[in-house]
Amino acid sequence: MKKIKEIVVLSGKGGTGKTSVAASFALIAGKDAIIADCDVDAANMHLVLKPNFAHSQVYCGGDVAVLNQDSCTLCGKCKEVCRFDAVDFSNGRYTIKDLDCEGCGYCSHVCPSGAITMVERKSGDLFISHIKNGSQMVHAKLSPGAENSGKLVAQVKTNAGRIAGEVGCEYVIADGAPGIGCPVASSLSGASLAVMVTEPTKSALHDLKRVLTVAKRFNVRPLCIINKYNINSDQTAVIKEFIEKEGITHLADIPFDSSFVKAMGQAKSIIEVDSKMKALLEETWGKVKEIAQTV
Amino acid sequence: MKIAFTSEGKTWESKIDPRFGRAEYILIYNQEKDTLSVIDNSEVTKQAHGAGPSTAQKLFEIKPDVLITGNGPGNNAAMVLKKLNLKLFVNAHNSTVKEAYEKYKNNLLEEMPF
Repeated sequence: MKKIKEIVVLSGKGGTGKTSVAASFALIAGKDAIIADCDVDAANMHLVLKPNFAHSQVYCGGDVAVLNQDSCTLCGKCKEVCRFDAVDFSNGRYTIKDLDCEGCGYCSHVCPSGAITMVERKSGDLFISHIKNGSQMVHAKLSPGAENSGKLVAQVKTNAGRIAGEVGCEYVIADGAPGIGCPVASSLSGASLAVMVTEPTKSALHDLKRVLTVAKRFNVRPLCIINKYNINSDQTAVIKEFIEKEGITHLADIPFDSSFVKAMGQAKSIIEVDSKMKALLEETWGKVKEIAQTV
Repeated sequence: MKIAFTSEGKTWESKIDPRFGRAEYILIYNQEKDTLSVIDNSEVTKQAHGAGPSTAQKLFEIKPDVLITGNGPGNNAAMVLKKLNLKLFVNAHNSTVKEAYEKYKNNLLEEMPF
């Protein structure tokens, strides 16, 4: 059996076109790839790929403190130690503010009467769906106030990898988490290649540099796409110089085009509304596949 | 000498887990005693955040001389591991634990500096 290649699409900065690129790759790859949406905080890939939410499972991200009023001796130690100000005292009793509780368990540890227990908190749902091109997608929806985590990303990717193995798919395409924190570390860990989508702005270059250090740490080979390259040719030149100096494979320059806006308005991928862009992204995906064979 | 492997299972035939922090098992091979012991790391995989440092902390209790893994530990985990003065070898995934050990003995693994 061939090894499954996991291609993670990252940007560091928001709004560079990471999800547009990932969704295009997903549609071009068709049944060759299982899609993993690891950008769970504000998941939007489903808007374009139209999953059917076929299977769902509960995701628990962490614990929440639960206070049993009957055993509470009103000592106030819980309120004293809580770093998140999640313990409230009013009307002569202590209560835990669910949304503020980070689940660290300090209060439960210091409670002399054992009135506080830590219970698993439902943080969202994980879905395994069929998408409009006949392939499958693993994605998640968080409960209000819940946040993405390395654990959730790991679960999304593990499920995608498992399905790819079952159906004999060669690729997993992961829309990576934004930033450089724990979810990004989890997006990169286990990946074969990282496609960095950047744009010619100063903040995008700054964030590209940051995310590259994380990719390097995880020994994942980075590739780069400059999106909207024609909105600032000076800055595009700066980025090109940087990636060349770093020895990063430059995959493609994608022009800014109003067809992106049109596609988004119709909840479609750019490749469905613009044949030129389709050709460019097909060529780019072809390069990614070629490089994936070498890692 | 003790050699630690991040592993998807509990035996020599198990695959190396490319992930460090969220590896399901850590296998420890004690060369002098010729024993392979299993550390169940599944509790850490249930942690929402900070899996890397937690797994690194576990290794602190064992103090292996060598760590063989896949993509490698992240920055936070690496900061902890650095204090152990161990040798870190990466890109050993796509092999079984046994194959990775053979590669290590034949100097075929890639050492990653901290």
